[in-house]
Amino acid sequence: MTDPHMDAPLNEYADGTLAARDRASVEAHLAECAGCRTAVAELRALVAGAAALPKTIEPSRDLWATIETRIRQPATWNVQRFWRGALAAAAMLVLAVGIYRLFRVPRSDLRVGEGQGWAVVQADFDRASDELSRILAVERERLRPETVALLERNLAVIDTAIAQSRAALARDPASAELRRFFAAAARQKVELLRWAARVAAS
Amino acid sequence: MHSDPTDLIHRAQQGDRAAFEALYRAHAGRVYALCLRLTADAAQAEERTQDAFVRAWERLATYRGESAFSSWLYRLTVNEVLLGRRAERRREQRVVTTDDPAALERPRGADPASGSALDLERAVAALPPGAREVFVLHDVEGYRHQEIAALAGIAVGTSKAQLFRARRLLREALNR
Repeated sequence: MTDPHMDAPLNEYADGTLAARDRASVEAHLAECAGCRTAVAELRALVAGAAALPKTIEPSRDLWATIETRIRQPATWNVQRFWRGALAAAAMLVLAVGIYRLFRVPRSDLRVGEGQGWAVVQADFDRASDELSRILAVERERLRPETVALLERNLAVIDTAIAQSRAALARDPASAELRRFFAAAARQKVELLRWAARVAAS
Repeated sequence: MHSDPTDLIHRAQQGDRAAFEALYRAHAGRVYALCLRLTADAAQAEERTQDAFVRAWERLATYRGESAFSSWLYRLTVNEVLLGRRAERRREQRVVTTDDPAALERPRGADPASGSALDLERAVAALPPGAREVFVLHDVEGYRHQEIAALAGIAVGTSKAQLFRARRLLREALNR
């Protein structure tokens, strides 16, 4: 292993970009340090290997059909994207307002109307989640099967977290920690659905 | 059959989609390779390749022939990938909670001639995104630090630091 302070000079020396005044001192160091000589040899081999990598890699499927669709009907495509984006943004807003409402409920109100703030947020979250799920259902077949499988695994994990936080909140509706836990899980689900819908749509 | 690239570009600028498809066929492999190495994710690379060609179609009128069409297209591609990457960075960090999607979408289609090239491809794909982007642009694609800094919206010193970090990590990975 070389001295970390030698990292930059050795890289620049190997690249041939080191200033002339520094080159002599690096060469003097190299004459005495076998580790740095090895490092320079490895750097040069790495740079040569990188430059020799194939410049062309064919995609595993023909991408032209999608490109052609997008450039053929830019207006329609843009409008569709706009509405999908607007719906997703609306769903996020509903959720954000719900979470804000939950956190701003004073503890005294929670004690009086126990569970009321939670019910409102639950409804808001369900609405946002359903809206995004509907968008995703339309575009789902565009995703790779591996991506769908991963999406479902992630959703299952998040749904479990949401179910657990719901059950815990039912027992202790005034717990700020549980509310934060629910909010984080709910936000994550909406983010994931939104990401999947966006990937599928593109 | 090889058509004159200048004629293809001119026809595509007039709205000829068949000419643009010929340009796509000529450059898709190079654009996809660039996207794949920058993202280390086959699904994202396909998406970015499509985005790059759509953006190229939209901006064809701005291509005046001062540089080679390929240089113009590849620079536009890098811009698309890096802009998309910056916009998605935070979102991805939040969304990927239980698994690594990149593991499912490892680079495919690359058929390097030697095992060492394959090892290098894998090691590059495993780099942290910032280091990987600078390494690919500098050492694979031949961009200078000033160009990378401008494209990635980072300081020249940051570009150098990321490159040296990438090379250090790659040497460690390849020596294992």
